[in-house]
Amino acid sequence: MDNVQQEVDRLYKSHFGKMVSTLLYFSRDIDLDTAEDLVQDSFSAALVAWRKDGVPANPAGWIFTVCKNKALNKIREGKRFRNLFQEEATPPRDPAILPGAFDDYQLRLLFACAHPHLSPKVQVVITLKYVVNLKVEAIAKILAMTVDGVDKLLLRARQKIREEKILFEEAGEEAIKTRITIVHKIIYLIFNEGYKTSWGKELVREELCEEALLLDRALLNSKIGNQETAALYALMLFNAARFKARFGPSGELLDLEEQDRSLWDPELIRLACHYLDQSRGGPASSYHYEAAIAYLHCTAGSFAATEWPAISRLYHQLLQLHPNPFVELNYAIALYYAGQKAPAFETLNGLLEHPFLSQYYLLNAALGKLHFLEGDLAAAKKYWEKTLRQTSSPAEKDFIQKMIDKAMR
Amino acid sequence: MEKFLFIIREDLNVLKDYTEEHRHQGMLEMSRWVESLAESWSYGGGEPLAITGRYVNKESVLSDGPFIEAKEGVSGYIVIEADNLDAAASFAQTCPLVLRGTMAIEVRPMLGPCQG
Repeated sequence: MDNVQQEVDRLYKSHFGKMVSTLLYFSRDIDLDTAEDLVQDSFSAALVAWRKDGVPANPAGWIFTVCKNKALNKIREGKRFRNLFQEEATPPRDPAILPGAFDDYQLRLLFACAHPHLSPKVQVVITLKYVVNLKVEAIAKILAMTVDGVDKLLLRARQKIREEKILFEEAGEEAIKTRITIVHKIIYLIFNEGYKTSWGKELVREELCEEALLLDRALLNSKIGNQETAALYALMLFNAARFKARFGPSGELLDLEEQDRSLWDPELIRLACHYLDQSRGGPASSYHYEAAIAYLHCTAGSFAATEWPAISRLYHQLLQLHPNPFVELNYAIALYYAGQKAPAFETLNGLLEHPFLSQYYLLNAALGKLHFLEGDLAAAKKYWEKTLRQTSSPAEKDFIQKMIDKAMR
Repeated sequence: MEKFLFIIREDLNVLKDYTEEHRHQGMLEMSRWVESLAESWSYGGGEPLAITGRYVNKESVLSDGPFIEAKEGVSGYIVIEADNLDAAASFAQTCPLVLRGTMAIEVRPMLGPCQG
């Protein structure tokens, strides 16, 4: 890749969403599709022009000027809003027309993406597209979707955005209050996607966790963040602290018991404790419980010294708040290590009756491991073999195969 | 939050001829999708349905199925929680089998005791 291409890619990553949203704020006569096309065209024009004449002193400004001219032409074609851009020079929007709590364009867009008519998955997709500025291919890879699938979702979302002017309108104060929970969920899901193990040790995944942390910190720094924002931040920091220890030297997955705890980042854990402390005082959200569980893990001296009874109590409370079979699985594991073996197996066997959970590789992996610990090798092998058929990810397959090999030795 | 029933419709004649492998693959895909619903705290239960059953009306027990409208028979259901019908429909839209066009989902608000 040549230097010009690199520069254009870098700008694309940092400025695409910003330019699109600025165009939208310029004129209500430009819809999202048009705005995206115009920005896209301007980047292509930049690539051609800069290869010929070199990269200008202010590359972003160059692209934006081209963008603006293209937009102007587009609007003139429609013979409408002829004079719209005449007085406008650098300030992209009029603060008098667009007041609001947001100083940061990224946060404004984030709250626009949190429109309550969209599902969390769609909100995550458009946030990754317009706020984090990822390309469709990258989104597809991250969310384990096909490029076609992401395109279809974006197409539907765009229709809705156009019909309901979702990205045009800044959320008002009331909407901000109701949408902040949705925004938290989006950030949480983005972090989760980055944290998921199914893709192994890829750089893009760590970046995704960083993006989630940055968005949450921007919320905390603005007037909008609340105790839930702090709890979410603590939860993500506790998990980020363990990031490097989750993989062995050759990139293989390591479970909690195998992880080298000296690799956990003490600075991040300290910071996370600080934010957990800040999150006190309001009603406890699911992030509070999850952060508290992560806290107990991060501050335990060893796997054996972990406060499993406290962890299982927290899971129990979390389940009261939000019943969820996938959390129940973790609850059962905590129960087992807390010495409550019978209720642990009872819960796990109950989950096996669940049509979707029974197909879930982690349920069978957990059953395999616990049966192995109980000395029932035959049962362990049965569950592990089932697990192997339930995942197509090489990292996960290796992880399970390693457990089988270790057990059969 | 309101509850919504996803009525999953597929071509039962096609389903009937699926190999074990094919069926398993579909279940895995659905399981991953359900996992993503559960991550956002929206999942409220659900399961696939057998292809055959009984169809009962005033006259008699009519058939063992696959049902007459096999081209779009009900093959399963899922209950989710969402803010509104738009959001619920947008959930359904993210199902990989819907995106691929092998499955349709009818989204119906469930009327709780208070609303009924």
